[in-house]
Amino acid sequence: MAQEAAGAVSARAGPHVDSLIRAAQQGDQDAFAQLVRLYDQSVLRLAMNLLRSQEDARDVYQEAFLRVYRNLDTFRFDCSFHTWLYRIVTNICLDHLRKRKVRKEEPSVVETAQGPVDRMDVVAEEGPAADPERSLWNRQLRERIEGALGDLTPRERMVFELRHYQGLRLRNIGEMLGTSEEAAKNCLFRATQKLRAELGDFV
Amino acid sequence: MNCETVGKLIPLYFYGELDPQQEDQVDQHLGGCGACARELDRQRSLAAALDERTAAPPAPLLEDCRTGLMAAIQASPRPPRVHRSPWASFLETLNGIFSSINRVPQPVGALALVALGFFGARLTGAWNQAQGSVSVSSLTPGGDVFATVRSVHPDPGGQVQIAFDETRRRVISGPMDDASIQKLLLAAAHEENASVRVESMDLLKSRTGSSEVRDALLNAAAHDPNDGVRLKALEGLKPLAADPQVRTTLAQVLQNDANPAVRMQVVDLLTANRDDSVVGIMQRIIQREDNDTVRLKLEKALKEMNASLGTF
Repeated sequence: MAQEAAGAVSARAGPHVDSLIRAAQQGDQDAFAQLVRLYDQSVLRLAMNLLRSQEDARDVYQEAFLRVYRNLDTFRFDCSFHTWLYRIVTNICLDHLRKRKVRKEEPSVVETAQGPVDRMDVVAEEGPAADPERSLWNRQLRERIEGALGDLTPRERMVFELRHYQGLRLRNIGEMLGTSEEAAKNCLFRATQKLRAELGDFV
Repeated sequence: MNCETVGKLIPLYFYGELDPQQEDQVDQHLGGCGACARELDRQRSLAAALDERTAAPPAPLLEDCRTGLMAAIQASPRPPRVHRSPWASFLETLNGIFSSINRVPQPVGALALVALGFFGARLTGAWNQAQGSVSVSSLTPGGDVFATVRSVHPDPGGQVQIAFDETRRRVISGPMDDASIQKLLLAAAHEENASVRVESMDLLKSRTGSSEVRDALLNAAAHDPNDGVRLKALEGLKPLAADPQVRTTLAQVLQNDANPAVRMQVVDLLTANRDDSVVGIMQRIIQREDNDTVRLKLEKALKEMNASLGTF
């Protein structure tokens, strides 16, 4: 799944993207809209995965693409547009993640008339014929995963998200985060170690 | 490799991030080590468990984001166009060109001024004051302003009047110097916009006396990404087709250009000046030409030159 996302993005790279960028740089808003559509699903997915909130994901989306729009004339085709875009997106996401760590967290699970509801549980994945026992297990697994991911540092989280869920190469990730491939490798290693430690009994 | 090293590399191995040599070494180790093979299994299970947590953004959210974004963009002032620079700088360079003014026998005309407009749009720098023989009806001090050349009126006296839009219509007038126009056209030959490049090739056609112009045409014929520009550049090279350097480039283009129309244009140019080296070029190329129309053209050309169709 992550691999096809990466493949799909790179398949779209090339002359078509370049001409959209140039047109957008000349002020063509329609071209800009098309350009956004090539990448915005992945961006939104990244933001959702990292922040687990629709509102925050929407904020990141707006901020990132507006920043792209305003700075498009500084893009000089010396790296891929995807990398340039993701530099901006990861920057904004990391800011959000860091703010969260600092802010006192409200408990995400609240009591409702229907029983406990996790406010962070924004993604409804069960189909209509879901088996309740399986659903419960899935839900507990997801909660454990979220917990484990939440214990990573923002950087580890980001590297892991980009490598595992978006299928990007560590070298590319390093470029996006302004760090070396080696540093990204170490980050990934630490992230997987921590996740293994926390999810050990599930796997 | 020992287990400790392999253990550290397992996650990277799993994601395919090891170089081929390291990957081989890990493969080999895993083949013979049960403990490490189980480590790899645990890595796989972890990855599978993590994949349980899919999060495709809900479609309404995506649509909402898109609409919100375009609304915000439409509401905000347009960012400056790439390569557009302060109008002030445009005036400065314009002035620099006009300051070495000589009367020209005939005005170069509207096309040249279009090139001028584009060239001006690529300038950077600051404009301070009007100099020389350029008279400007009024000056806007500093700030970012954007210009569109709207019309051009040459007059019989060799002067040219250019009207361009700034925040209000302004007119600048002054005589034009031939060599300066050439400089502008050469600059326009590197312009990002393909239709400007085509125009400038067209205008340069009549100025092939200068080696700079010839080089610009050769460069465009061989390297411009746009088919139309390459074709125009080749047209411009017609009078120079006898020149050996031009000939060499033409041979390269004939061999390498992806567009058959371009290749046919080259054949035309080469046949205009037939001699032994041309024959040699064509005989070589005909072997590898896979487009029928182009090959027929080559065959015809060779026959007309009483040459055989190939080297055997």
